[in-house]
Amino acid sequence: MNKRRILFSAAAILLLIAIAACMMVIGRGHTMYFDNKKLEYEGQTYDTYRRINVFVGGEQVAKLSAKDRGMATFMGQKLSFDIEVTKEKGDEPVTYSYTVKVPYKEDGIVLNLPGMIAGLPEEAYTTVFVPMVTEDEGADEEIVIDEFGMSDVTEGEDTEP
Amino acid sequence: MSEVKEIKRTFIDGVRENLKSFGLPRLIITAFLLLMFIIAPFTGANFWVQITNVINRFSWNAVLVLAMVPMVHSGCGLNFGLPVGIIAGLLGATLSIEWGFIGPMSFVMAIVIATPFALLFGLAYGWLLNKIKGGEMMIATYVGFSVVSFFCMMWLVLPYKKPDMAWGFEGTGLRTTFPIDKYYGGVLSNFLRIQIGRLVIPTGALLFFALLALMIWAFLHTKTGTAMTAVGSNATFARAAGINVDRIRMLSVVMSTWLAAVGILVYEQGFGFVQLYNAPFNMALPAVSAILIGGATANKASITNVIIGTILFQGMVTMTPTVMNGLINLDISEVLRVVVSNGMILYALTRKTEATR
Amino acid sequence: MNNKNKTASGKLLNLLGNNAVPIMFIIIIAFCIPISGFSSLFLLNEIMTRLSRNTFLILSLLIPIMAGMGLNFGMTLGAMAAEIALIFTSDWQIWGIPGIVLAMIMSIPISAVLGLVCGKILNAAKGREMITSYIISFFMNGVYQLVVLYMMGSIIPIVHNNIKLPRGYGVRASVDLTRIRKALDNVLSVNIGGVNIPVLTLLIIAAMCLVIVWFRRTKLGQDMRAVGQDMEVARAAGIDVEGTRIISIVISTVLAGIGMVIYLQNMGDMATYSSHSQIGMFCIAALLVGGASVDKASIGNVFLGVILFHTMFILAPSAGAKITGNEVVGEYFRVFVSYGVITVALVMYETKKRRAKAGMGAQLAAAQQEGDKR
Repeated sequence: MNKRRILFSAAAILLLIAIAACMMVIGRGHTMYFDNKKLEYEGQTYDTYRRINVFVGGEQVAKLSAKDRGMATFMGQKLSFDIEVTKEKGDEPVTYSYTVKVPYKEDGIVLNLPGMIAGLPEEAYTTVFVPMVTEDEGADEEIVIDEFGMSDVTEGEDTEP
Repeated sequence: MSEVKEIKRTFIDGVRENLKSFGLPRLIITAFLLLMFIIAPFTGANFWVQITNVINRFSWNAVLVLAMVPMVHSGCGLNFGLPVGIIAGLLGATLSIEWGFIGPMSFVMAIVIATPFALLFGLAYGWLLNKIKGGEMMIATYVGFSVVSFFCMMWLVLPYKKPDMAWGFEGTGLRTTFPIDKYYGGVLSNFLRIQIGRLVIPTGALLFFALLALMIWAFLHTKTGTAMTAVGSNATFARAAGINVDRIRMLSVVMSTWLAAVGILVYEQGFGFVQLYNAPFNMALPAVSAILIGGATANKASITNVIIGTILFQGMVTMTPTVMNGLINLDISEVLRVVVSNGMILYALTRKTEATR
Repeated sequence: MNNKNKTASGKLLNLLGNNAVPIMFIIIIAFCIPISGFSSLFLLNEIMTRLSRNTFLILSLLIPIMAGMGLNFGMTLGAMAAEIALIFTSDWQIWGIPGIVLAMIMSIPISAVLGLVCGKILNAAKGREMITSYIISFFMNGVYQLVVLYMMGSIIPIVHNNIKLPRGYGVRASVDLTRIRKALDNVLSVNIGGVNIPVLTLLIIAAMCLVIVWFRRTKLGQDMRAVGQDMEVARAAGIDVEGTRIISIVISTVLAGIGMVIYLQNMGDMATYSSHSQIGMFCIAALLVGGASVDKASIGNVFLGVILFHTMFILAPSAGAKITGNEVVGEYFRVFVSYGVITVALVMYETKKRRAKAGMGAQLAAAQQEGDKR
């Protein structure tokens, strides 16, 4: 193998690694949860709103009454969204726009919208989403090792609806 | 003094020579099995129960492994087409039950009925293998698969009526698995069964295997048998010596197929169930790797190889789950079986000197 | 004159004989379409889906055939590599197109290593490549299970509980790929007369075809063909036979890995322990249905094969149900046909090889006789 060839393949490998790293950043998926819930912060109470509509890129992703939770999934480390807030029945809706950053390693974070609208510091209204520990229904899933993979030959290729 | 040294050296050489012919993979498997037997009592498993299990499984499988021998001898390679014979055996089993035979008679009749099918399939299969000398193993594999998948359709379509085997409601097609307690379940294993404490020996099944093995051994020492060995070791030479190579090969394939048919019946009487549809797919590779573990190569196999191989293979299969489970509560035996059995076949396929085909 | 006639009819017979399998399939399909009662729109949509889903995988088989190594049953190794890559990207939650691209890139080193091992073993088993690669795929399946069922989650970190088994290690029997489901297919997809066409996927396949055409003309491609023709002659010409053979298997395995990612993004769901085990058989059967043989396969064979084989696959269950009143018969029928086609192709290849050998022997003998006469 000559020098040029080694150089070329090294460059190709580096390029692939660079692309892979890039994909890991832009493709990282997160889930954002929106809470329209009462928040207690430094002795003050921030009450729920009658109705909050959440829009991401102009598309409505959640319609929240008091005590509701909505969610949106997205790729990348920040999400821009608009919310349309109605305080009491009959009020004119007020629109706010926000951009929230999500740490790379967190799968999902929860935003408390009343706290956010009130302009509290970030740590007051964001919490890391912890999935509920659900008792697995099947306890221990049976893994059947089938040397020839024949038992599901009828499903495997054809599960497409 | 020097004489002693000399003897010592030849002794060491002899050991080394023996080890070499024994083969490294075989050595590892034997050592592994011995280790299992040593560890087993510490994991709470009863030694005699373990021995019983190994003997039992040996008695179920040995005939299927024996079915490899004739084809290896005639140079047709490892019989990856074992399912062809198994299907013949299954036809015998189902027809014998369908026609109302029960008890030990159903076993005899199953063999009797399976025989013409085995001959027929064996002739066709042998004819095909004679057409494609040199590519036997791959084609045998796929012939086996084709026959099994064809019979998957047949089990559904053929007009079986016996409620013990057929689906009750629609009345069409056989079940995937059905028990044969009423028929020939355990007929061999329970015959002259010896029980000493927790050790149980299925004498009948062992005797039956011994009988078949003796027959094969005797056959290989007849004129036709030696001709078969000659064809396997050097076909051109055999042809020059006036042996009809194609006919000998055909005979060996028919014998292998018939043994496979009987083998599956023996397996079923031990196991207690008949398994149809996709079950025969999985039966060739364990038998192939068992005989290879026993020291056979792609063109050399003896009865000893069959016995050693089956004991080692089945020992491994039965011992590892109990020991692994007792030791670390982790059952990797299935994975181990897949890796070891296929690894063994790979090892045999990559030996340059041994496998010419 | 008589002689000429004979060769002409011989040629026709040869043509028919060489294309027996595709012709047989066209007949089966022509017979099944009216019975099945499917609308042509449904059929076209299904065929389009399967074309985009399977073609890349089958293309991976071409290069080892070129190098004279037969049907690469070891393509399963690439599929396993792709599955391992997809388990990781799912666990790291990389979604959409980036997830697919990342899975493809990650599958490459795994495939390459597996391909290297496979190539090395096949070099030790010359003349028995197919059965050996077939057994390798089983052997590696065991290793794959060891890694995925026991090491993932215990030694190799797996974070999410929807991937890990409840016992704390090992991957579940099914991995959900909804986050990358059809991400590739849906880019630039157009709908013509009710038929959904995944343009980007087809473009990738077309690009791959061009690469293969180009590859055949490169030095390496020429070397491979030379090795495929005759190893000894190639060695005498100074070609590194062993190295070339290994490279052909590595390329095939890597392509199979990428193809498997494309396949699984279309399925949107991955059967962790069985997705790969059938894939080799189906791809090889499809290629052979397209008229390829063990030593000769073209891109045309790939496309024809995908269309014919998968049309049969779609039709068989309902045709079977209509004929025998039992849908399962149809399902078994298509499995039987897959195996049958491979068997027939293998038998044809071996008989042809034998006949060629015998023909050469006869020629040699004739030449010798001629020499004796003089």
